[in-house]
Amino acid sequence: MWDRGAYEKLKAHFPEAILGVEESRGEVSVRVKAEEVLKVAKFLREDPELSYDMLVDLCGVDYPEREERFEVVYLLHSMKDNRRLRLKARVREGESLPSVQEVWRAANWLEREVYDMFGVRFEGHPDLRRILTWQGFEGHPLRKDYPVEGKEEGFELPPEPPDLEPPEWLKEEGDGRYMIVNMGPQHPSTHGVLRVILKLEGEQIVDAVPVLGHLHRGVEKLAETMSYLKAQTLTDRLDYTAAFSNNLAYMMAVEKLFGIEPPKRAQYIRVMLAEFSRLTSHLLWLATHALDIGAMTVFFYCFRERETILDILEAISGARLTPSFLRIGGVAKDLPDGIEERIEKFLDEFPSRIAEYEALLSKNPIWLKRTKGIGVLQPDDAINCGVTGPVLRGSGVRWDVRKALPYSSYEEFEFEVPIGERGDTYDRYLVRLEEMRQSARIIRQALRKIKDTPPGDIVIKDPYLSPPPKDQVQKEPHALLRHFKYFSEGPAPLPGEAYMSVEGPKGELGWYLVSDGTPKPYRFRVRPPCFVNLQALPLMVKGHLVADVVAVIGSIDIVLGEIDR
Amino acid sequence: MEFVYFLIETAIKVIVVFAVVMLAVAYMTWVERKVLGHIQVRYGPNRVGPYGLLQPIADGIKAFFKEEVIPEKADKVVYVMAPAIPLVASLSIFSVIPFGETVRILGREVKLCIADVDIGLLFVFAMASLGEYGIVLGGWSSYNKYGLMGALRAAAQMVSYEIALGITVLGILMLSGTLNLSEIVRQQIEGHWFVLYQPFAFILFLICMFAEINRTPFDMPEAESELACGYNIEYSSMKFAMFFMAEYAHLLAASSLVTVLFLGGWDGPWLPPGLSWVWFVVKVGLLAFFAVWVRGTYPRLRYDQIMKLGWKILIPLALANVLFTGLFMVV
Repeated sequence: MWDRGAYEKLKAHFPEAILGVEESRGEVSVRVKAEEVLKVAKFLREDPELSYDMLVDLCGVDYPEREERFEVVYLLHSMKDNRRLRLKARVREGESLPSVQEVWRAANWLEREVYDMFGVRFEGHPDLRRILTWQGFEGHPLRKDYPVEGKEEGFELPPEPPDLEPPEWLKEEGDGRYMIVNMGPQHPSTHGVLRVILKLEGEQIVDAVPVLGHLHRGVEKLAETMSYLKAQTLTDRLDYTAAFSNNLAYMMAVEKLFGIEPPKRAQYIRVMLAEFSRLTSHLLWLATHALDIGAMTVFFYCFRERETILDILEAISGARLTPSFLRIGGVAKDLPDGIEERIEKFLDEFPSRIAEYEALLSKNPIWLKRTKGIGVLQPDDAINCGVTGPVLRGSGVRWDVRKALPYSSYEEFEFEVPIGERGDTYDRYLVRLEEMRQSARIIRQALRKIKDTPPGDIVIKDPYLSPPPKDQVQKEPHALLRHFKYFSEGPAPLPGEAYMSVEGPKGELGWYLVSDGTPKPYRFRVRPPCFVNLQALPLMVKGHLVADVVAVIGSIDIVLGEIDR
Repeated sequence: MEFVYFLIETAIKVIVVFAVVMLAVAYMTWVERKVLGHIQVRYGPNRVGPYGLLQPIADGIKAFFKEEVIPEKADKVVYVMAPAIPLVASLSIFSVIPFGETVRILGREVKLCIADVDIGLLFVFAMASLGEYGIVLGGWSSYNKYGLMGALRAAAQMVSYEIALGITVLGILMLSGTLNLSEIVRQQIEGHWFVLYQPFAFILFLICMFAEINRTPFDMPEAESELACGYNIEYSSMKFAMFFMAEYAHLLAASSLVTVLFLGGWDGPWLPPGLSWVWFVVKVGLLAFFAVWVRGTYPRLRYDQIMKLGWKILIPLALANVLFTGLFMVV
């Protein structure tokens, strides 16, 4: 899992550039000299033993009291050996790092984000513009000295909407040969406020440039002002189609910081809820994807099933979309009475429902014509772009976080990981359909396992990490005091860092948390799967027609709440 | 004196047909929403009046009172004129459609057809293609890139499917030897429905018809999910509604044409000649229902795939149909 041998090898190769190694919560980070990052990155990717072919995440951390103020963190993954390694490079204010986007294309947008949020420049980056805020925005929001409420004094709205003009390199001569069309941010099929600048020749796409940030709310900044428990509410609102997955990934990162593990019953409940949220997400995906291609009936069929699931989730957690149901070391409540029968009934019906969707789509000649061979993503490109989830599996790479890095007792469950063959829109469609069947299978197993565990054992018994029971709070002063302290201040983990990821419905959804020993996260970094996956869009649509952009965006399955954060 | 009677009779027929067609168009929207609703496990309109029967009227009133927005850079004259063209065109198709057997009213022989002209079929085709101009001009004049793309798609689609449609009908012409629609129906009443002689042409005609009237799976000029409504993107208020009225009128006109050409027009058992038009209405209704059903079932084709289908498959097939009809007649 975490690669402890890489440091020696790197040190032997680059005695100058490697500054040291640190370990926190079992995770290995190698410190690299900022100027040498590109060289080390190339070596890490090309060396046959190391072969770190995927850049999972790239983010910044700001330490204003240090002389080398910014730390840029690279999280690498090796597909071959299923190993992970973290690189860290420190830079002073005004200094720049070499860009690694020629090694891993995934770095392109991630470096832009670090530049946008911290002001760290990357040399050799082909298109270093702001990405989540607009061009001409002043300041870098994730720096510690940037006020969380924003700069009210001296802040002026730009005279006209920013970013109206497409980037310079897109505007080319050609004497009216090309037409630039803005698809979005108000467009029925960009699934939110995504804007894609299309350069068209007739209806054929010459280039496509996504413009993000219309929904940027500064979640990562806001979380730095909240206690670990309260920050969970922010995670609901990232990928709001599958809030339980977000809760789970975040809470597991927090638990890793505290070094605890929830009881088995809580783990199984979490698995069940995460799979339900995968179902809701995939159903919503199928509904909108089919609608984009013009099959409107499937839309309503999917919503019928989604409604049943949301009713079940509401009965369990009290909320349909934004549950915030997990607690540090467990879940908030045990399952309500009679829910098993409802779930069983749903699971019995569900296969026939999927058959219904398939009857309308899978062999429909028009559907095949619209999806087969469209938006092909080669497996090498997919890995290089950092793509994860059903999009990666659609390209034929059998990689699933649930199997590769099992969490929350997933290793005890039996399920298949479906993959595609050609990496086109149709394969991604088939992969997601099969995933829905597998999810239903996992839910059935989870239900059985939950029955075998003692009821009520849903959260760890630790007076520091969990609040006192309600009846004690109402009777005993010390419990009331503890309750007050727990919710006003919250527990604080020891300094250090932790990264945990889950296989969300859209891909690897991870949280990188840095603790400085206070009850609030020092850095709350989301590894957003949609953000990284969307980078592959231009690659997938070039040469296709306008109608295919819609099909491909649908097949990547994006949620703007998570991309823009 | 006879001429005055003729004028009065024609005026009454025009008014009746216009009123009935416009009412049918209004209720087509209701039928479409209701049928789609039931296909899609929901109710469809059910708030205004019993079973939502007053919904089309409420929609009409709403459309009339909506604010009208004309884009600043639009070509105003063309922009304002465009919605009228398809509506006028598709309504005038009904002037040559025969609805039923000749009846005797007040001692006069009254043909249930406004103008029983000898070039009826030609007139229908002319008007049907004229209707597309409204879409092309509307999309083009509104100074919007999506509108322009919708207009271009409409133009291309019109050209390719018009040809296939024309060739498909040739088989009927060869069998009947006339362009007069009443005559075509009469021949079917005496013999068999032409759908039995020309089943192949019937299917091709239906496919081309869907393309001609811009319905799913060929609703390219509109394509709400990719072009954000295409040609009518900048239209609002009654102008927007007129495009849709035209679309439904066109659907009914095309269904009427299929009924006349292939399904024996008003031919049917049991009913007295005075009520023969009921069969006509039933057949048109079934075809319209079929169109809604298709919309509830199929996704949308892509623009280039539609062109390929038109030029590489439908036109050769239609030509083959003409060839075999000819061979059959000679032998």
